[in-house]
Amino acid sequence: MESQNRLWRVLLLALPILVFSVLVIWPLLSSFYYSFTNWNGFNRDYEFLGLRNFAKIWTDRLFFNAIVNTTIWMAAALVLPTLTGLFLALLLDRQVRGARIFKTVFYLPICLSAIVVGQIWIWIYQPDWGLLNTFVKLAGNPDFNYAWLARPDSALFAVIVAWSWQQTGLSMVIYLAGLTSIPSEMLEVCEIEGATAWQRIRRVVIPLLTPSTVVVVALSMINSLKGFDILYIMTGGGPFNSSDTLAMHMYNESFKKYLMGYGSAISVVLFLIALTIIGVYFRQLRKVDEIYG
Amino acid sequence: MAQVELRNIRKSFGATEVIRGVDLSIDKGEFVVFVGPSGCGKSTILRLISGLESVSSGQILFDGKDMTRTPPSKRQLAMVFQSYALFPHLTVAENIGFGLSLAKTPKAEITRRVTEVAKTLQLDSLLDRTPRQLSGGQRQRVAIGRSIIRNPKVFLFDEPLSNLDAALRVSMRLEIARLHRELGDVTMIYVTHDQIEAMTLADRIVVLNGGRIEQVGTPMDIYENPANTFVAGFVGAPSMNFIRCRVDTDGAARFGPATISPARPHEVSGDALLGIRPEHLALVESGDGTFDAEIELVERLGAESLVYLRAPFLEKPITVRTGGKLGLSERQAVGVLVDLTNLHVFSPASPAPKPEH
Repeated sequence: MESQNRLWRVLLLALPILVFSVLVIWPLLSSFYYSFTNWNGFNRDYEFLGLRNFAKIWTDRLFFNAIVNTTIWMAAALVLPTLTGLFLALLLDRQVRGARIFKTVFYLPICLSAIVVGQIWIWIYQPDWGLLNTFVKLAGNPDFNYAWLARPDSALFAVIVAWSWQQTGLSMVIYLAGLTSIPSEMLEVCEIEGATAWQRIRRVVIPLLTPSTVVVVALSMINSLKGFDILYIMTGGGPFNSSDTLAMHMYNESFKKYLMGYGSAISVVLFLIALTIIGVYFRQLRKVDEIYG
Repeated sequence: MAQVELRNIRKSFGATEVIRGVDLSIDKGEFVVFVGPSGCGKSTILRLISGLESVSSGQILFDGKDMTRTPPSKRQLAMVFQSYALFPHLTVAENIGFGLSLAKTPKAEITRRVTEVAKTLQLDSLLDRTPRQLSGGQRQRVAIGRSIIRNPKVFLFDEPLSNLDAALRVSMRLEIARLHRELGDVTMIYVTHDQIEAMTLADRIVVLNGGRIEQVGTPMDIYENPANTFVAGFVGAPSMNFIRCRVDTDGAARFGPATISPARPHEVSGDALLGIRPEHLALVESGDGTFDAEIELVERLGAESLVYLRAPFLEKPITVRTGGKLGLSERQAVGVLVDLTNLHVFSPASPAPKPEH
């Protein structure tokens, strides 16, 4: 009986380990391996280059452009959905009429694929008949014709807005769950002590939502680091690399220029950056855990 | 003039009426304890007094002024919750000074008053800690500190010691009693289901049942002169014994083979319930007492023993409180002597006692 149980345990564990190994561990190790080669993605006769791909990164102007764009992308993708999600959660947490419908509506975009979201926002940004420019025209600027996604100074921010629109629903739901876990007595203490609505939110609710913020930040960080598909569909990294993030740059080098070895080196750097951020995040997480348990 | 006055307070949640017309006057400086079984409405009344819940009908007056619709922060009261409700992200000092900082009191003044309160509650060495680094008793003291710092006129305690272990409860009970003495004319309203807390802390006890007041009185008055079987059964541990009997026109009560004449005057006749506290029964040799019974169980508690007896005419076993060291054994036949001066006679229509206690 005991040995049969053990067999089951091994079998049940083996399947996910196998899937994880094939889909995560193997590609990860392959990337590390190819980052030291000049493989073009097709031929088997590649050479071992040592650290030359990594040395090239330091002289790659587009790589540093991608670093700047990724920093802006991550910072905005972290802050915007978090703040809007928190704002909506605070608004919908009260017993307002139609709160359930609003919650569903705001959550809906997260159920859509990034490609669909991207296409919706391409239409919204369309210079001639897009929703955004139509509104601006109706607001008294009939000649307004701004190509949001075709201008280097607005392309990245235009994608950030679309991304935030999609991600807001997720942070809203996490914050709504967090709000229900705040003990009612703590809010009653605020009522008895005479806190204003703003004091209650700033000094009690937001700090007590820290565990939720930790989750929101983690998800936003992971999602934004992975953020590729929406950029790909909306701008493809352009115009003039103005929305080229690290993930986008890696894709372009690997699959458009067929420099799979160099692309792998970029992916290794991206991996190390992600690892550092996650390391810092976990250290902060421990501090949060000490306070909120 | 009463500090807090409730006039025909009623509260309904939807179609369910949970408070069914409560009238009560609480004097300045008085320590009033609400007791009652779960769901009797004691915490709801406290929340109505605090303003955290609004009354469905009736009036709440503070110092003669109608406060029924006044928001909680304007009622000059403080509340201590069972769960302490301390903010985990604030230090002890910040928790205590929370109300003052909301009111934008100057920092130096907050520090001075926090230090003063912390000294009173022996928290002065813990001011920089967070609630997670404190024991249950220390946390409750911080919650009390947060309440007293604003010098409220009325203190509301909602089962403040229920989360503490037995030893800590005793010491915190003493602390609360000391605090009441030191604060002088501060009115305290305290909700508990623990009757030892009620008996030891209260100037007056309010016994509640099903959203109504069953009896209001001093602890000893409630204990010695319960108004009905509910109060008699609820107050006192182990609870009062009830024996079905028939009362003759001359006032004598008959049950089984026994006929006894209660010394206290009463107006019950016909079918009745005799109420006898376990300490008002004594065990004697079989045949020497008011009636005979058989020992079902002996619980030895050290200083005293509880002996459970059964007899064919008793609906359920009765309890006798007696000395610690006894040479008694189960199934032994004994005589039971009833203290006639402490007998209570209740009408069977009187509210039913709690089923288990």
